[in-house]
Amino acid sequence: MDRETLEVDVLIVGGGPAGMSAALRLAQLQKAQGGEPLAIAVLEKAREAGAHMLSGAMLDPSALRELIPDFKEKGAPVASEVHHEHVYFLTKNSKVPFPITPPPLQNHGNYVISLNRFVKWMSGLVEAEGIDLFAGFPASEVLYDGDRVVGVRTRDQGIDKHGAKKSTFEAGVEIRAKVTILCDGVRGNLTKAVVRRLALDEGRQPQLYAIGLKELWEVPKDRIKAGTVVHTLGYPLKREEFGGGFLYAMPDGVVSVGFVTGLDYRDPMFDPHLTFQHFKQHPAIAAILQGGQMVRYGAKALPEGGWHTIPRVYADGLLIAGDAGGFVNSMRLKGIHLAMRTGMLAAETAYEAIRARDTSAARLWKYEERIDASEVRRELYPVRNVHQSFGYGLVPGLMYSGLSLVTGGWWLKDPMPAHAGFDRMAEIAEYYGEHKLDVDAPVRPVKVDRQLTFDKLTNVHHSGTRHTEDQPSHLIVYDTNICSTRCRVEYGNPCTRFCPANVYEMVDAGDGTKRLQINASNCVHCKTCDIMDPYQVIDWVPPEGGGGPQYDGM
Amino acid sequence: MKIAVCIKQVVTREWQLRVNEPKTWIRDQDASFELNEPDAYALEEALRQKEKHGGEVVVVSAGPARATQVLREALARGADRAIHVESDTLAAADALVIADALACAIREEKFDLVLTGLQSDDQGFGQVGVVLAEKLGMPSASIIMEVQASESGLRVKRELEAGWFQWISLPLPALLTIQSGINQLRYATLKGIMAAKKKEIRKVTASGSAAPAQKILRVYFPEKGKKTQMIPGSATEAAKALVQKLRDEARVIA
Amino acid sequence: MILVIAEQREGKLNRASWEAMAAAQQAGGPVKVALLGSGDEPLAAELAAAEAAEVIVVDAAALGEYTADGQVAALAILIEQEQPGHVFFAHTYQTRDFAPVLATRLGRSLITDVTAIRQESGAMVFVRPVFQGKLNADVTAEGPAPHLVTIQIGAYRGDAAVRGASPAAIRKVEIAVDAAAVRQKPEAPFKEAKQAVDLSQAERIVAIGRGIKGQEHLKLAEDLAKAMGAEIAASRPICDSGWLPMDRQIGSSGQTVAPKLYVALGISGAIQHLVGMKGSKTIVAINKDPEAPIFEIADFGIAGDLFEVVPAMIAELNK
Ligand SMILES: Cc1cc2nc3c(=O)[nH]c(=O)nc-3n(C[C@H](O)[C@H](O)[C@H](O)COP(=O)(O)OP(=O)(O)OC[C@H]3O[C@@H](n4cnc5c(N)ncnc54)[C@H](O)[C@@H]3O)c2cc1C
Ligand SMILES: Cc1cc2nc3c(=O)[nH]c(=O)nc-3n(C[C@H](O)[C@H](O)[C@H](O)COP(=O)(O)OP(=O)(O)OC[C@H]3O[C@@H](n4cnc5c(N)ncnc54)[C@H](O)[C@@H]3O)c2cc1C
Ligand code: SF4
Repeated sequence: MDRETLEVDVLIVGGGPAGMSAALRLAQLQKAQGGEPLAIAVLEKAREAGAHMLSGAMLDPSALRELIPDFKEKGAPVASEVHHEHVYFLTKNSKVPFPITPPPLQNHGNYVISLNRFVKWMSGLVEAEGIDLFAGFPASEVLYDGDRVVGVRTRDQGIDKHGAKKSTFEAGVEIRAKVTILCDGVRGNLTKAVVRRLALDEGRQPQLYAIGLKELWEVPKDRIKAGTVVHTLGYPLKREEFGGGFLYAMPDGVVSVGFVTGLDYRDPMFDPHLTFQHFKQHPAIAAILQGGQMVRYGAKALPEGGWHTIPRVYADGLLIAGDAGGFVNSMRLKGIHLAMRTGMLAAETAYEAIRARDTSAARLWKYEERIDASEVRRELYPVRNVHQSFGYGLVPGLMYSGLSLVTGGWWLKDPMPAHAGFDRMAEIAEYYGEHKLDVDAPVRPVKVDRQLTFDKLTNVHHSGTRHTEDQPSHLIVYDTNICSTRCRVEYGNPCTRFCPANVYEMVDAGDGTKRLQINASNCVHCKTCDIMDPYQVIDWVPPEGGGGPQYDGM
Repeated sequence: MKIAVCIKQVVTREWQLRVNEPKTWIRDQDASFELNEPDAYALEEALRQKEKHGGEVVVVSAGPARATQVLREALARGADRAIHVESDTLAAADALVIADALACAIREEKFDLVLTGLQSDDQGFGQVGVVLAEKLGMPSASIIMEVQASESGLRVKRELEAGWFQWISLPLPALLTIQSGINQLRYATLKGIMAAKKKEIRKVTASGSAAPAQKILRVYFPEKGKKTQMIPGSATEAAKALVQKLRDEARVIA
Repeated sequence: MILVIAEQREGKLNRASWEAMAAAQQAGGPVKVALLGSGDEPLAAELAAAEAAEVIVVDAAALGEYTADGQVAALAILIEQEQPGHVFFAHTYQTRDFAPVLATRLGRSLITDVTAIRQESGAMVFVRPVFQGKLNADVTAEGPAPHLVTIQIGAYRGDAAVRGASPAAIRKVEIAVDAAAVRQKPEAPFKEAKQAVDLSQAERIVAIGRGIKGQEHLKLAEDLAKAMGAEIAASRPICDSGWLPMDRQIGSSGQTVAPKLYVALGISGAIQHLVGMKGSKTIVAINKDPEAPIFEIADFGIAGDLFEVVPAMIAELNK
């Protein structure tokens, strides 16, 4: 097939905080140092910059201050500074405040933001620098020259359900770059492929992930003061599960409420969406939301493995930044500032390398050196075993979290052993013993009232998700037989539960058995299935450009 | 052929509507916006006509500063240049005022053909195009499903109701309102986006003088207000009762 | 006085004209009806059945076939002569084609797609949908009378138009329309067998959902549709399975419809489905789950097994 090609110096894939920061930093270096201007392009799969952004979000402004010192004058949407902070341990009907806020959760000086708006704002600055920002163009493949990364190919547009070209077919473009910076976020499809192909995770622990579900609410204005943040531990999670809830108040009664659970739970019947509903029903949370209106919903995974799970983040022609590389502080539930910081460091490395006409791994190794010398390591190293330690249960985990701050993270063996999250999921028989379980019925059902609690489909409606219907499924299940046979018996089809958008359904096959139905157009691009499927037969690939959620205000 | 396409920026269909404080319009500060869908078909038709007959496609939008988003998008898809009638009040203005502003902005350009979408996804007047035609002194035809252009004029296929159509001929210059689905929309391309950066967006201030023709007193969510009659009894009883109600009460079947 | 402009094509009145009439009568005040065309006496007699001050027939050769220019030229003069307070039209495709020109030429306000009318401190307040029906707006017309108003099809019931005790007077007026000034040259209308069904034009729809269980049961729904004179449609899973073509799908990623009657068989009522059909006049839901959300928007509901209820309905309808 004839494909157009486009040559640039630096290609950034993914327009999140990491990608936008990398682009801005490159523009700054360019301005400061002059010379032949670099051609820079940013690819983003969302229709509009920021549309696929979902975060808490509390922003640690350290990287922002450095990148854009006059961010306030430039109109950064950082409306509320954190004023009041609460941490509760929840039991079913009550809350026990932690006597003191543990230091990692101390957020004074941070801002409560909407990452969607923040990134939209950044995209304006990027475009003002004359950088080409291509929204609506997912990268589907990495281009190699031997083991050297030489760019990416964008997805073909205009293919129908059956794989045939429509009259509007538009072949994907090959974008060739001296340096490709992958900022494709958590479980990025390109990063995943490149890490495998170049074995960048050799000698590292497997990445651990969590899934976060979130709703945006509008409650009466006097209900809760802007800048109030609440974190919870405990209910509705079982002791063996890692995670917790959050509630952040913004001006005008806008409240961000969410629940994060480690994707290394053992209970195959665990359902993150139902857990989120139980959380909202807790009196402490319900009291704040009651009488308000849910206006947006979404879900997204986040990497939580920490320092020892970060792969090698450079190769010939390649750098990896942000969530794609796993730069998240899971104890602080914060990754934006690290994404920004690693994006900036990647930009600096790429800029230098291009000026030196050497973009080999030997040169790009400087990126790792920069990271090691930066705040990133200073922040991540001491908490390197946090999520792994929660693998031993809540109480030891909490003790550990506290202890790491004192001991600098030394604990038992270092690094602590860990398994990939999906590996920990127990089989039904193992977890529930012999007693018969109807795997199509929830273990802890919620009576949905569509005021405080919602079913998945109603929620998905509020994610603003839209995809071209007539296109091949972008969720590739390599073996659907497993679903109706082994998985049904062994795990009871957990995909029907962990997918927060009801993409996977087991429906009657007509012969007394069940078959998997994939409602691909519901997908909110959270990547959970790609991560958590116990047989690892699901591949998330990008759908046609512009498809996906519309996370206004998230 | 020199073609103008009038396009509007509207809130995305996926945005959850919220009403503003005086309850006279929506609160759209944090909304996301997109090109009004019928206008995308009008633009596509203009590009196809240009491909056949040569000439120039100029996109025109009346609206606040943020409307440059859709003008840029149209330039990326292949329009040659853009005119932005910039005014904050035009976002929620009525058809007469918008058409007047557009007319003032494009009259001098002497277009051969002006295309608009059938109606906008927000106000849904279905008037702007037709009013604009009258203001420009052009004949118009609406809800068009096919356009055949020649030097002497246009032959266009109008959609009537219930599966009926009609061809009509009209002289140039003329205005057409385009029905969604008239063509297949093309995808934006990287090259198009880069080329768009070099194209001109001329800003003009709204110089129309039309007085508003309608006033919005309030906007509100339609009341659900349906009372469901659950029909009890065995399947046969319920079926019988239902058929009777549909015949006599609702009178929706014979 | 409200002047209602009736619409005809090929010697037949558009039934929506009666709906505009009903709206005018309910808005209050005397009503006159005007019909434009050439040689339309039988239709005038039909209209005269309505409770109206009179029926005005504008008979001119140039009005034989509809053209926007012809219609505007004639109506501009008629309105000048009659001095109505309001002019009502049905919001048909034809009205959309010329009413905005007429309003502009007269320099008068035009309010389109009106679904209800209220009096508020002496003025008419019009309710019209905005944002594709997600919101309603209450609007008033600005500027001097007459104000032009188009009434959404189906918003009023045509059979609710009050009939007069005796036929209304019919008056013919002569208006000279200069045929040479008509810029549009129409050809004969034709019907196109579109391969895609246009469900938006269907009066009745029987829609099936996953409750239908298997393709082999489609016949049951089709039989019901036949007995009711309805089109068949479906929720997304049915079309996804290929049991019905995609163009029969109702909902956010399918068609939006508003028929007189919508019968939902075995459809749960997910919001993505509801947005495509909740504008229907009468909604019937048959679902074995009494808690199914579809019942929240139904006018009539039967909580039961469709495989029992539907055959009984067919039997009753065919009696
Ligand atoms: C529920 C939740 C709460 C959180 N709370 C906080 C918090 O309070 N504070 C905090 O600091 N952090 C928080 N985080 C983490 C934070 O959001 C992330 O660390 C941060 O967004 C990472 O930025 P990034 O640019 O690396 O990746 P992302 O923000 O994920 O951006 C990646 C971008 O790449 C695009 N992309 C992906 N694949 C492709 C492709 N193939 N082609 C083109 N484009 C592609 C995506 O659409 C996306 O726009 C939270 C995360 C979650 C899920
Ligand atoms: C982005 C997006 C777009 C979508 N677009 C659309 C769309 O355009 N149109 C659409 O329809 N859906 C759409 N959906 C899917 C939608 O969310 C639902 O999944 C779908 O409408 C459900 O179809 P259903 O009601 O037929 O099936 P189900 O939800 O499975 O409902 C079946 C119903 O049948 C009942 N039933 C079962 N057996 C019987 C019996 N014997 N007698 C009576 N009742 C019985 C059950 O009680 C149940 O209520 C979309 C979803 C998303 C996320
Ligand atoms: S299909 Fe996978 S990526 Fe999409 S929403 Fe479901 S779990 Fe997330």
